[in-house]
Amino acid sequence: MLETSGTFQPGVIEEIQRKAATGIYDIRGYGTLRERRWATFDDLTFLPCSLTRIPLEGYREKCSTKTILGTRHAEKPIELDIPIMITGMSWGALSLNAKTALAKGAAMAGSSNTTGDGGMLRAERDNSKYLIYEVLPSRYGINIHDMREADGIELTIGQGAKPGTGGLLLGSKVSDVIAQQRDLPLGVDQRSPARHPDFLGPDDMVIKVEELREATDGKVPIFIKMGASRVFDDVKLAAKAGADVIVVDGMEGGTGASPAILQEHTGLPALAAVCEARRALEDIGLYGEVQLIIAGGIRDGVDAAKAIALGADAIYIGTAALIALNCNRAIHQIDYHAIGAAPYHCHHCHTGRCPVGITTQDPVLMERLNIDEASERIFNLLRVMTMEIQMLARACGKSDIHHLEPEDMAALTAEASMICGIPLAGTRRVFGS
Amino acid sequence: MAEVICCGRSIREINSEIKSRIRGGDQQITVKDPGARHNLAVAILEPAHVTIEGSAGYYCGALADGSTVEVKGSAGWGLAESMLNGTAIVHGSAGNGAGAAIRGGAVIVHGDAAARAAVSMKGGLVLIGGSCGYMAGFMGQKGSLIVCGDTGDAFADSMYATVCYVGGKIKGLGTDTVREDLSSQDVEFLDATLERYLPFEIRKSKPAGKAFKKVVSGRRLWNFSQRDRTIWQEAL
Repeated sequence: MLETSGTFQPGVIEEIQRKAATGIYDIRGYGTLRERRWATFDDLTFLPCSLTRIPLEGYREKCSTKTILGTRHAEKPIELDIPIMITGMSWGALSLNAKTALAKGAAMAGSSNTTGDGGMLRAERDNSKYLIYEVLPSRYGINIHDMREADGIELTIGQGAKPGTGGLLLGSKVSDVIAQQRDLPLGVDQRSPARHPDFLGPDDMVIKVEELREATDGKVPIFIKMGASRVFDDVKLAAKAGADVIVVDGMEGGTGASPAILQEHTGLPALAAVCEARRALEDIGLYGEVQLIIAGGIRDGVDAAKAIALGADAIYIGTAALIALNCNRAIHQIDYHAIGAAPYHCHHCHTGRCPVGITTQDPVLMERLNIDEASERIFNLLRVMTMEIQMLARACGKSDIHHLEPEDMAALTAEASMICGIPLAGTRRVFGS
Repeated sequence: MAEVICCGRSIREINSEIKSRIRGGDQQITVKDPGARHNLAVAILEPAHVTIEGSAGYYCGALADGSTVEVKGSAGWGLAESMLNGTAIVHGSAGNGAGAAIRGGAVIVHGDAAARAAVSMKGGLVLIGGSCGYMAGFMGQKGSLIVCGDTGDAFADSMYATVCYVGGKIKGLGTDTVREDLSSQDVEFLDATLERYLPFEIRKSKPAGKAFKKVVSGRRLWNFSQRDRTIWQEAL
């Protein structure tokens, strides 16, 4: 009988030998590929109405999805029709067609999209209803005129896929137009800085937030986005810095390119992140005053509804939106195989050879993504996710999705009970309390 | 010449009045009693000249396009950061990150600049009349950094295509940074730039263009490669 080491399994052996042969650490896109052995939203279940509560009619009774962000300081808070938003993904990591389709689809659904680590694309603004402009450590493409056209400014400290490390855009995607947009030499392996160039910590971030308000005449909300790490402390510091909206991005979040180990071994899951973030805001008396957006591996309206019930005001999606665009669809299969991938198994965004035209700057590949059709799919996804949230909210007797609360759920595992502060199903106990 | 008084007013009120007066046609604005306030004259997008009669705090003249902001004192961190075009002039010294991420225009500091001057600059000019702290020019992408005095350690670390010139001593070069001989065009550029931007009283004590050292990227970190093992070890 052939025996296999439990420690040095075939994949581990291959990876060690790859490192030994190439001298280069592994870089790839997509996000964590690990089997989910941590507590997730799947470890919660809703407790719909029966005798103790009265449900709303599931298919027809009014259930508001209006989502307002930036009520703390901004003159013009953002009023979305739905709580699902498109997260920041750069023009560079994504093709022009993908960025445009995301903007257009989000606008059709009455929601927002976000720029990313490469500045604003004109077509993105022109097709958006609400556009969030990201200010990242790299400041690629930064343009005050674009900022002043935005409906919100997002000061990004980090992202869930790789908190504490800057972005990557490999040379195959630094095309003429992207190099020009980012003021970079053509074809460099662009490694973004992790730190902002003009502030370091939470104390001077207060001044930075004030600067962004001055630059936009106090009109639009200022978001602060962070990868989920020391969430309880970080959220409080972001709130103290004056954020109107705080975005916490869980470790399941995606990326166009990153060292693989960072995607697999850094950050907290979105479930833990939302719970810590809510507690942090409650701890300083700002829960409800500072809005909370949760991101990181949100797949459907069920994940979103659970995050909202745990304390989120809105949800960012990234990978799910790209999947709606056609990511990992079983088409153009020869091109998947050419980059060592296959439909449902592709995480090769970093190569710039995306077979379905999403994460590429190749004009031939990009043309495979029809903007109008793709934007329709984005609209459909956002619409269905919203209806799923409404369905769960109505079953729990809520006429507004934002009325969902932890009490509407039970935990299916002791870990989820401990993390969420929700009784374990079949008991009246919150484990660990 | 319009005057804006800072004393007793919020930064929102001060900046609103500066912008309102520019919109009203004033091209010369004097800001009185600045008290080293942060975020003075942020996002001025017209070709007006704003003179700050004293020292300024963080992000003075930041996110500008086409304006001239002159500080008759010293400035804090992030002077003129992310400027698209225009000029920022500081008569005294500047804090960390002077000219950070500018995409165009000129940031002129008559005195010294602290750490990471011109960090991530993407175009334009950063001119330091005195000396600068560590990591000046870090990750510079385009444009020119001129330091008339001495530099701190790790100068011009991990740059893309910014070109740096140093009139004094270089304490230490950063990773993937190399010296290059000055060309006649470099000397011409340096002499013309110093003459244009530094008043004679300051310029007279600075080296002539031909005495500067030129520093550029070694371009070995531009792409992932194991060919240059030592450079990657230093970078990591």
